[in-house]
Amino acid sequence: MAMAILRRLGQTLFVLVGISVLVFLVFFATPGADPTARIAGRNASPQTVARVRVEYGFDRPLPVQYIRMMEKLFVTRDLTSYVNRGEKVVPEVFQAAPVTVSLVTGAAVIWVLASVAMGTLAAALRGGWVDRGLMMLGLVGISIPVFWLGQVANLLTQSRYHDSWLFSWVPGLGYVPFMQDPLGWFRALVIPWFTLAVLFIGIYSRVLRADLVAVRGEDFMRTARAKGLSPARVLLFHGLRTSMITFVSLFGLDFAQLVGGGALLTEVVFGLQGVGRLTYQALGNLDLPLIMATVMYSAVFVVIANAVVDMLYLLLDPRVRDGRA
Amino acid sequence: MTTALTPSSPSVSARASAGPWRTAARVLVRHRGAMVSLAVLALVTVACLLAPVYADDVAHTDPFTSNVAGTVMLDGRQVDIMQPNDNPLHLGLSPIGPTWRMAAYPLGADSQGRDVAARLLYGGRNSLLIAFSAAALCIMVAACVGIVAGYAGGVVDAVLSRMMDIMWAVPVYLFAISLSIVTVSQGLRIGPFTVASDNLLIPICIIALVYVPYAARPVRGRVMTLRRSEFVTAARGLGVPGHRIVLRDILPNVTGTLVVLAPLMTALALMAESALSFLSIGVQAPAASWGTIIQDGEGLIYTRPMVAVAPGLAIIVVVLALNILGDGMRDALDVRDGDRGRG
Amino acid sequence: MARAAGSDHRGGTLRLTAASSGGSLDPQIAYEHENLQLEAPVYDGLMAFPKSAPDRIGDGDRPIPDLADGPPDIRDGGLTYVFHLRRGVRFSNGQEVTVNDVAATMRRIFRVNSPAAGPYFSDLVGAAPCLNGRTDCTLAGGVVADPAAGSVTFHLVRPDPDFLYQLAFPQASIVPADTPGADTGNVAPPGTGPYRIVSYDPDRGLRMERNPYFHAWNPVAQPDGYPDRIQYDFGLEADAEVTAVENGQYDWMLDMPPADRLGELGDRYAARVHLSDMQVVYYMELNVRRPPFDNPAVRRALNDAIDRHAVVIHEGGPALALPLCGMLPRGLMGYDPACAYGRGASADHPAPAWQGPDLDRARALVRASGTAGQAVSIVTQTSPVAIAIAGEVRDVLTALGYRVTTRAITPTVEFSYLQNTGNDVQIGFTGWESDYPAPSSYLHTLFSCDSFHPGSDNSLNMSGLCDPALDAAMRAAALAQMTDPARADALWRQVGRDLMALAPVVPLVQTRRVDVVSARVGHVAISPYHLLLIAQLWVR
Repeated sequence: MAMAILRRLGQTLFVLVGISVLVFLVFFATPGADPTARIAGRNASPQTVARVRVEYGFDRPLPVQYIRMMEKLFVTRDLTSYVNRGEKVVPEVFQAAPVTVSLVTGAAVIWVLASVAMGTLAAALRGGWVDRGLMMLGLVGISIPVFWLGQVANLLTQSRYHDSWLFSWVPGLGYVPFMQDPLGWFRALVIPWFTLAVLFIGIYSRVLRADLVAVRGEDFMRTARAKGLSPARVLLFHGLRTSMITFVSLFGLDFAQLVGGGALLTEVVFGLQGVGRLTYQALGNLDLPLIMATVMYSAVFVVIANAVVDMLYLLLDPRVRDGRA
Repeated sequence: MTTALTPSSPSVSARASAGPWRTAARVLVRHRGAMVSLAVLALVTVACLLAPVYADDVAHTDPFTSNVAGTVMLDGRQVDIMQPNDNPLHLGLSPIGPTWRMAAYPLGADSQGRDVAARLLYGGRNSLLIAFSAAALCIMVAACVGIVAGYAGGVVDAVLSRMMDIMWAVPVYLFAISLSIVTVSQGLRIGPFTVASDNLLIPICIIALVYVPYAARPVRGRVMTLRRSEFVTAARGLGVPGHRIVLRDILPNVTGTLVVLAPLMTALALMAESALSFLSIGVQAPAASWGTIIQDGEGLIYTRPMVAVAPGLAIIVVVLALNILGDGMRDALDVRDGDRGRG
Repeated sequence: MARAAGSDHRGGTLRLTAASSGGSLDPQIAYEHENLQLEAPVYDGLMAFPKSAPDRIGDGDRPIPDLADGPPDIRDGGLTYVFHLRRGVRFSNGQEVTVNDVAATMRRIFRVNSPAAGPYFSDLVGAAPCLNGRTDCTLAGGVVADPAAGSVTFHLVRPDPDFLYQLAFPQASIVPADTPGADTGNVAPPGTGPYRIVSYDPDRGLRMERNPYFHAWNPVAQPDGYPDRIQYDFGLEADAEVTAVENGQYDWMLDMPPADRLGELGDRYAARVHLSDMQVVYYMELNVRRPPFDNPAVRRALNDAIDRHAVVIHEGGPALALPLCGMLPRGLMGYDPACAYGRGASADHPAPAWQGPDLDRARALVRASGTAGQAVSIVTQTSPVAIAIAGEVRDVLTALGYRVTTRAITPTVEFSYLQNTGNDVQIGFTGWESDYPAPSSYLHTLFSCDSFHPGSDNSLNMSGLCDPALDAAMRAAALAQMTDPARADALWRQVGRDLMALAPVVPLVQTRRVDVVSARVGHVAISPYHLLLIAQLWVR
C-alpha cells in the first residue's frame, strides 16, 4: 500500500513537470510571443532592446530559461510578471484565490443541496412524471452554455429589470471582499453562484438518481426493507449513504478543478477577478510568468485531487482500482 | 466533462453479432424522447443546409460582408441599417432590431449590419460540422489510445494514462486557448502542409484533442475488463495473435461504448466550440458559428439582445436533443450511466 | 464655475475606475496612456505640456518651462541648451530638487533602458556608451550640471528640433539622484507634483495623497490639485464601469464606454459626457516590400477603394470618429483635411475632404497592375472593432479581385508582430499615438529609414518605406520649426502629401474620446496632451 501511494506521488510529480514543460514550449512556439520588445517599450532603439534581452535572460538557451523560471516560481517565489514588472506572480495568484473560492464554494453548496433533493426525489418517485420532469430539467441545465446563461442573467438583472423590485438589489458587476462587507459579498455573488451551479445540479442529480436506482436492488437494501423500515428511510439513510461514494469523489474532482481556475467563463462574464480570469488575462497578454503560475496552481489542485480520489478508491474499494485509475 | 461508462453486467460482453444491435435499434425506436430529438436534429441540420437558399433567394443579403452604410426597405420606407440616435451629442448607433419579417432582417442586424438570421443558419453549419467532426475524430483517437492502453497494460498503459492526466489536468479551456493563440496567429505548419488560420480543421482538432482523455478513460476501462474475460483469455491461450484479438474480439465489444459516447461527445464539442468562439479563438471572421454570433451579440446585449439570445437558444436546443438521444442510446445498448461534467 | 479656482473646491476623495492597470509606475519606463495620465500631477520635467485647463484651442500641446525657471538659452545653432533650475521645489520626500538630480535622471533614462533613450536622447554628447549599457556611461560632456549657478547645460551632437518636446515627454520626469538604477515597478519614486502615490497593486488599485511639500510655482505647467485623495480601482469591465459611474459609485472611468451604452449615455446623461479629439490615427499599414503592395498603384487603389465612412461607423459614428486621408491628426501642425483619394479627388487636385470611395478607378489600377488574383492576408487585433474594420478592408480587397484571409491576433502581440519583417505581414490594422505632439513623431517615427530595423520586433516603420527624398524633406520641415513655425506648417503639409503619393499606408480615421463623469464632479478640463486632467476635478 505504501509503495502504491509512493508510486502515485511520483507519477503526480511527473505530471506536474510535464505540464510546466508543455506550457513553456507552447509559449515559445507562439509567433510574436518574445516579450523583449514589449518590455523595452514602443519605439525603443535596437541597443535598448538588446540590453533588455540580456538583462531578462532571453538570450539564454531554453532549458536554462526553463530551470531559472521554475526556480523563481517554486524556490525563491519572486518570479515577476512581464507586463506589470514590479508584480510578483505568486502573491498575485494567492490574492485572486479567495474570489474563486468564494464563487465556487457558494455554487457548490447550491448544487449539492439542489441535486441531492432532486436526485432523491426522482429516485423515490421513479418512473413517474416528477422523475421525468426533474431529469429533463437536469438535462436542460447540462445543455445551457454557462457564459450565455451568465450574459442573459446580466441582461435581466443589470439592465432590463434592474429598476424593478425584483432585481434592484443587484449590485454592479465585480467582487466585494467578505471581510469588507459581508452583505455586499453575498449580493455580488449570489447570481454568479446560481449561474455556475446550474450545470452541476443537472449532472449530479442525474448521477445520484442513477446510483440510487441501481443500489435499490442490492442485498442490504432488501434486508433493510425486509426489516420493516419505511421506504423513505431506507432510501435516505441506506441508499443515499452508499451512493455518496461516487458523489463525493465526483465532487472532489469538480471542486478542485473549479477552484483551480475552471470557473473561467463564469468569472469572465461576471467580472470576478479570480484565478480563472487572471489566467485568461495572462493568456491574452502572453504574460508567461503569470500563465505559468496560474496553470501550475490549477494543475496542482486537479492533479492532487485526482491522486486523492484514486487513493481513496484504492483504500475503500480495491475492485474498482483497475477500472478507474 | 468526464464520463465513466461501465458495462452493467459481464453478460453483455458476449461476442457481438447482429442480434444485440437489432434489439437496441428496436428499443431506441420506441424511446419517444430519442425519436423527437432525432427529428429536431434533422430539422436543424436541414434548416442550416438551406442557409444559402434563405440568404440568396429570401433575404437577398450577404451575411459575410459588412453593410453598415446600407439601407433596407421596410413598410415602403428606406430605413438605415445602422440607426443613429437623435440625442444632442449624436452618441450611439444601433443596428436595426428584429422586424419579424422573413425577407428583411427578421432577427435584426449585428454591429456590422449583417442579417442575424442568415448568420444563424450559416453559423449552424459551422457549429454542427465542427461538433460532429470533432466528436468523430475524438472518438477515433480515444478508441485507439484506450484500446492500446487497456490491452497492453504495464508501462505503455502508465505512460499513456499519465499523458492523458497531463492533458486533462490543465483546465480544458486554458489548454484550448493556448493552442488556439498559437494556431490562429500563424496557422499550422506541418512539414510541407500549411493549414490556414481560418481553416475549420484547427478548432476541430483542438476540441478533439482536448476531449481525448475524457473519452479514452471509459474505453480503457472497458478493454481492461474484456482482457480478463473468458473468451479473450481463451483466445490468448490458443495463441491467437494480439492484433487479431483486438480487431475481432475487443473492438466489436467496445463499439457499444463508443456509439453511446457519440452523441454526448457531439454535445460536448458543440459547447466547447461555442465557448472557444465566445473567447474569439474558435471560428474566425467573417465565418460565423453560434459561438461567434453570441460574441458579436455580447457587444449589443443592452440594445439588441436578440443577437446573443437566438444562437444561445439554438445551442441549447441542439445540445439538449443530443443529450436525450444519448440517454436513449444508452438505455437501448444497456450501458450504465455515470456522466459527470466540468464547468 | 465663475468663481476663481480657490479653496472652495478643495478636498474630498476622487474615485476613478479602470479595467486594468497600466504597468510599471517608474516614470522613466511607464508609457501606457493610463499611467502617463495619472502621473501627470505626480512628476515634472524641466519642460512640460501644460497640466492646467486650456484657455484656447492650441494651448496645451506646446512644451513650456516647468522645473526650469524660464525658457532655455539655445546656443550654437541648436547644439547647446542652458536651463536654469527653479529654486525651492521639493520632492515628496522633502529633499530639494538640485541640478544633480537632473543630470542623474538623464543618466537614469539610459541605465533603466527607458524606451526614450534611443530615439530621443541618443543625440546627447557621450550617449553612445550609455546606450550600449557600458559602465563608463557618465554623459559627462552631454549633460553638465553647475550647482553654483543652478544651471544644467545639454550638449547635442546635431541639432534636434524636437528636443524641448522630448524633455517635456513624461519619461524625462526628474526623480531624486538616489533613485535605484532599475525599473522600480510597483513603487513610484518621489516626484515634485501636488500628489504622491502611496500604494499600488496592479490587480486592485492605486492611492494618491497630497504631496505635503508641494507649492504651486507655475500654475499653468503644474497647478495645485483639488481632491485631497485620489483612489483608482482596477478590475471592472467597461460595461460595469459605465453603470458604476452613472450610479455615482465612481467619478470617472478610464476605458471608453462600450458602443452599446453610448445611446443611453447620450439620452440620459448628456450633461455629464465630454467629447474630445484624441491624437490617435488608425490605419492599415501596407508592406511595400511584399507583393502585391510593393506596387504603388495597388496601394493607391486600396486608398481609393476603402470606404472611410464605413470605418467611421465602426468606430461609433461621426460623433466619435473623423475620416482621415493623411497620417497627421486634426489639431497638429501640418494637419491636412484635403484628400488625394476617393471620389472626385486626385493627387494633382485633392478634394477638400473625403468624398467617398472610387471603386472604379481602383479596379482599373489593379487591372493595370496585373496583381489581381494574388493572395492577401490581413492581420488585425482580436477586438470586435478591429475585426470589423479588417472585414471592411477584406470586402474591398475581395471586390478588387484578391483572395483574402484575415488573422486576428491578441492586441498586446499584434503591434510587435506587425513590426517584425520575419513575420512577412502584407497588410495590418494598427493605430499610432505619438509620445509628444509634433509632426515628426508621426511621420518621421513611422516612415523614416532610421526607424526600419529588419528582423526586429521594434521596427515602427512597419511599411518598410525608405525614401531618401522624403527623409530630407522631413528633416527640412523639422528644422524650420525652430525658426519659422508658419513655414514649418506648410512644409509638413507638403511632406504629408508626398507621403500619401507613395501611399505606404491607408489612413482610416482619427477617433474622439468619450469621458463620462459622476453627478458630483465639476470642472472637467481636457488637455490635448494629458487628456482629462484628473487632479483638476472638483469633488462636491
